[in-house]
Amino acid sequence: MKFLMAPFLLIIRGWQKFIAPGLAPRCKYYPSCSHYTYDAIKRYNILGIFMGVWRVVRCNPFSHGGVDYVPTSLKLGPIKIGAR
Amino acid sequence: MGILDPLYWVVSGVMVFIHRALSPVFGETSGVTWSLSIVALVILIRTLLIPLFVKQIKSQRALTALSPEMKKIQQKYKDDRQKQSEELMKLYKQHKTNPLASCFPILAQAPIFFALFTVLNGIGKNPPQARGTFTPELAEQAAAAKFLGAPISETFLGSPNTTTKIVTVFLIALMSLTTFTTQRQLMVKGMPKLDTTNNMMLQQQKILLYLFPVIFAVTGVNFPVGVLIYWSTTNLWTWGQQYYVIKRNPAPGSPAWEELQKKKAAKGLIDDVTNNGSVAVEDPEKPKGQRNQPKKKKKKNK
Repeated sequence: MKFLMAPFLLIIRGWQKFIAPGLAPRCKYYPSCSHYTYDAIKRYNILGIFMGVWRVVRCNPFSHGGVDYVPTSLKLGPIKIGAR
Repeated sequence: MGILDPLYWVVSGVMVFIHRALSPVFGETSGVTWSLSIVALVILIRTLLIPLFVKQIKSQRALTALSPEMKKIQQKYKDDRQKQSEELMKLYKQHKTNPLASCFPILAQAPIFFALFTVLNGIGKNPPQARGTFTPELAEQAAAAKFLGAPISETFLGSPNTTTKIVTVFLIALMSLTTFTTQRQLMVKGMPKLDTTNNMMLQQQKILLYLFPVIFAVTGVNFPVGVLIYWSTTNLWTWGQQYYVIKRNPAPGSPAWEELQKKKAAKGLIDDVTNNGSVAVEDPEKPKGQRNQPKKKKKKNK
């Protein structure tokens, strides 16, 4: 399963290297959404992608941001996926 | 029915509406009417995004009050970027203010851009494809409409027309120039000096500053004139918006902010420029001596 995630990780790395530096620093969280998603995919495979999407959604004009690492454990209920 | 269909309706709907409104002025088949309908689309979207922008600027202004604490953090974790960012984020959260824009403004515009691209691309097909609220007649009319003599549906690569080539090159140059100046303006004047430790990122930003025009040149040759108009207008708007903010309401600690501070002092609006400046300029002694409040708060943070 892990090798299937490689293209996603590559896209994130590409974004970090070639696109993100062209934008002003903008993520309200630490680590930034891209780093978060990268870590999440490394740890939770395909689930990490959803966690990353949810993180980007949470990083909106109405949130206050803050420090938010990928959780070390997940409660696997159908609703709690990705919800911290 | 595709997922983007509603967006086609919105994008084409706005275009057709503006076209109808402007037709009596410039003429129904006029290129000016159709070009302006694309420009109006940009103006509408960017106007809708202004409240977000104002919100962000307001929280940036709120940072002035926090800058002594920010300085403390930066001094304390000089050699640990990660810890430094973490503490800064904690500080923002604690004070419920966050100067960072989040990805939303970009993400909100991306689907609209793609929708416009598809709509205009459809018009560029032979025979013109009518998407969204476009009727076949309107699509044909839009396809023939000219911007500076180039049909708005033609691309650099797809057209043998010399005028189209010249106009697309002009628009791509305009896109590159506006992106370049916007980015440079921000880097030189708009950003707080706090980031000097992060040389790697600055280096990367510099490379991209010169890389973006190249990327535009490569991708832009596939874009219809109409999309290029949209993109150029967006860039101009971004530039103007940023120019206004950097002049009137710069981020605390940035070179533009220091300039404004000096100007205000010259006008007698602020009594002591060095006092205000020392918060932003590297000078760890002064804030410590003058301000007690940040010290206390920092202890709470621990």
